[in-house]
Amino acid sequence: MSKTVMIVDDSASIRQVVSIALKGAGYQVIEACDGQDGLAKVSGQRVHLIISDVNMPKMDGISFVKELKKIPETKFIPVIMLTTESMQAKKQEGQAAGARAWVVKPFQPEQMIAAVSKLIMS
Amino acid sequence: MNIRFDYDPENNRLSLDGEMTIYTAAELKGRLMQRLHESETLAIDLSRVGEIDSSGVQLLLLMFRDAATKNKCIRIVASSPAFDEVVFLCSLQEAFGMNGIEAEEEA
Amino acid sequence: MNLDEALQTFIEESSDLLTQMEEALILSEQSEEISEIVNVLFRAAHTIKGSAGLFGFDHIVSFTHVVESLLDRVRTAELELTSDLIALLMYSRDHIADLLEDMTPEPGNVSDELREKGDRLVEQLKCHLGSDESMPTKPNEDTSVAPNRTNCDQRPVRSENWHISLRFAPDILKNGMEPFSFLRYLSTYGDIDHVCTVPDAIPSEEKMDPEISYLGYELSFKSRAERSAIDSTFDFIRDGSQIRLIPPHADISEYIELITILPESNERVAESIRKCGSLTQEECRTALSEIQRVSAADRTQVSRSDIEASPPAPKSNPSERNATTVAKNGENRFIRVDSVKLDRLIDLIGELIIAGASTSMVARKIGVAELRESTSILSRLVEEVRNTALNLRMVQIGTIFNRFQRVVRDVSQELGKDIELIVEGAETELDKTVVERIADPLMHLVRNAIDHGIEPFELRRDRGKPDKGTVRLGAYHESGSIVIEVEDDGGGLDRDVILAKAVEKGLVSEGQSMSDHEVFNLVFEAGFSTAKEVSNLSGRGVGMDVVRRNIVDLRGSVELSSRLGEGTSVKIRLPLTLAIIDGFLVGIGNATYVLPLDMVVECIELAAWNQEVGDDKRYLNLRGEVMPYLRLHEHFGISGKIGKQRNVVVLNYAGEKFGLVVEKLMGEFQTVIKPMGKMLEKVQGISGFTILGGGDVALVLDVPGLMRQIVLEHEREEDTVH
Repeated sequence: MSKTVMIVDDSASIRQVVSIALKGAGYQVIEACDGQDGLAKVSGQRVHLIISDVNMPKMDGISFVKELKKIPETKFIPVIMLTTESMQAKKQEGQAAGARAWVVKPFQPEQMIAAVSKLIMS
Repeated sequence: MNIRFDYDPENNRLSLDGEMTIYTAAELKGRLMQRLHESETLAIDLSRVGEIDSSGVQLLLLMFRDAATKNKCIRIVASSPAFDEVVFLCSLQEAFGMNGIEAEEEA
Repeated sequence: MNLDEALQTFIEESSDLLTQMEEALILSEQSEEISEIVNVLFRAAHTIKGSAGLFGFDHIVSFTHVVESLLDRVRTAELELTSDLIALLMYSRDHIADLLEDMTPEPGNVSDELREKGDRLVEQLKCHLGSDESMPTKPNEDTSVAPNRTNCDQRPVRSENWHISLRFAPDILKNGMEPFSFLRYLSTYGDIDHVCTVPDAIPSEEKMDPEISYLGYELSFKSRAERSAIDSTFDFIRDGSQIRLIPPHADISEYIELITILPESNERVAESIRKCGSLTQEECRTALSEIQRVSAADRTQVSRSDIEASPPAPKSNPSERNATTVAKNGENRFIRVDSVKLDRLIDLIGELIIAGASTSMVARKIGVAELRESTSILSRLVEEVRNTALNLRMVQIGTIFNRFQRVVRDVSQELGKDIELIVEGAETELDKTVVERIADPLMHLVRNAIDHGIEPFELRRDRGKPDKGTVRLGAYHESGSIVIEVEDDGGGLDRDVILAKAVEKGLVSEGQSMSDHEVFNLVFEAGFSTAKEVSNLSGRGVGMDVVRRNIVDLRGSVELSSRLGEGTSVKIRLPLTLAIIDGFLVGIGNATYVLPLDMVVECIELAAWNQEVGDDKRYLNLRGEVMPYLRLHEHFGISGKIGKQRNVVVLNYAGEKFGLVVEKLMGEFQTVIKPMGKMLEKVQGISGFTILGGGDVALVLDVPGLMRQIVLEHEREEDTVH
């Protein structure tokens, strides 16, 4: 049974690259363009892991994680946050919200696969 | 994200159907421990456990420890591939009394 | 934590250990029972070697290894700790300190001089060791090989696998992190040979939270991957988790450390490690017995710590222990904090106090009872926070006293004198910044006592004194101050010599009548030196005047008393803390001044006094007690309208009382002392300023300074009278 990963990012190109890489590694992928979209799409199906950007329109990554933590069906989904190194303060905020895994942009697709497999090895 | 409990009082057999994960851990703890308190002997059938993570494993370990201190008889009588994989990964055969008695009643 | 920070910790830790070695070596000369002392020495060398290895300082590893081997022989009673050997070990200790120092700017490149010195010491150490000791290769070769695989290590374990020990942060499950996933991911880098799951942390049914992670793992891992690669597996769960990797064929000491650090009982941990195949039965036994030996030594060793000494608690029995919450032994109760962070905290609390005072004032002005009540609760809390924070910075003065043992030992040997240093009140606490800044002046005084104070023993015999001279360092608290005394039973000061010298230097005029006390304290005047010739010990261009200036800069005072032929005593008085004090506000006209509350004895209306006494009204009579006084408005030359009302604040400093006449008494005030700018630094009688609740500035009065001035003025006047 292959596992499902959701990538939430307002940049379509990043969604694409991540999506291609993950599918190549045997995961199913759902794409969402911001936190709100992500929340809408995560309900009603089993998502094993979420990759989310921090800076996004409508609902940013941190608020997104906070919302996920409120819903029983989604509160235990591991989240990988995408960050730039200069966002130390955001990182603390995110960690307080429960996001433990961080991947620094820019990243190679292999790095992303490695990060995902640490959390949900298929 | 569900777990179903079936108890067969005649054979003291508790069957679990679903996932033993962090999502079901809170519910599992209550049900499993209550079952254990009400039983002197307990046979656990895990053959329909599709997924198990460390929260599930530590609950089972708690049950086995509790049973041992109260001199109760507890056994895992059937297991699923998911459970077997975890037992192998963490070398838990001994802890769950599974040395050579795997799925003896599976029939 | 990055590598730089870790390195900093290593340097601090090593310098602590070197201090321990030094103290132990000195103690070993005086003590009969030396087995614990040797243990301390051995462990210090052992730990330095181990940590140096982690950082790849192979030259430190190889040198320390020889020292350690030697100490091991002493420990097993194969070698006797002779005074020769103690001296050699002292030099070796110094050499390690030099190596550490040398490494600090640019690690790795040892200067030729140091290397030669190291080689010489190794030669000498080898002589004691005998030839059968398998020596490590010469220092500074072999640097390419990881230290734990070099032949420096005495006891590599048999296992050719990595050992991985995992205790996860309790909340990882809640954050969606599943330990099994990480275990599975490890297969990317190799094969898990065997896992031992450690369920000990699962609490009783009632206490068990099913969403908390309780399981720990010990695993034997076959892999050719680099440490960093294997370690990277756990990147996402490192926070709050204990993740330890031990490489193949590591020294058994790494396992010993692991066993001691993990929360379960030593026996349980050792058993888990054995079960997963990383240690053999034999290696387990060795590790456990070593731990027992060391912890026995720990219990007997006098514990010392920068913050507060408390004996390390021996491991309690396993059932009492809760996996992650209970500290395993005393050491874990202490944490290392960068003092810069502490200073920042104190600064912030200073700001908090000022802001709090202004809030309270606004509340009083507005006059809403509830607001006033809540601000008063707030200021009480702020005060508690202040005290707690200041307390964090308190360290025992013993931390600097102890380094004088070494000085006395070395210097007296050099001078051919037999001198004993007696330390009293080493546990007396004072602010860390004060401790640091008093160390140099104290060193000077101690050296003076050894160098000029204690006579050569021929002279001592003539005077009927014991051959062995005594220098005493003492400390105690006295009304908001700490008093530090340096005493010797040496020759004492010669009043006539000092007076003659002072006249020669133009410090006093000939024929001026002076008490002994005044004469002796002339040595603190700039440009005064009584030593017939400048010795290489004390004569470093730093005179007693610098000692006094340093002390005065700390808002302290110093005085000297002496009896010819019997000895000299120097008494230093320092405030306990520099930053924040409990103040007492007094006012004249519109100006407000702060007095340190600790020094205020009482406040009385001037009318209630038996009025001024003495020919020229320079004394006050308080219930029969006569004391000098100062009118503050005269002192600061405040003219204009001074209210009719007069109050006297009775102050006590260094056992002397004096009165300060002011207009208004305005009560207690938490005072954050800000230093005066360069311009006002020289104003007599002021040690700083503070900001009041309303934003006004108040001057902090320097009580010792005022007192000195009263004395001076009286003397001057007396001179003119006589």
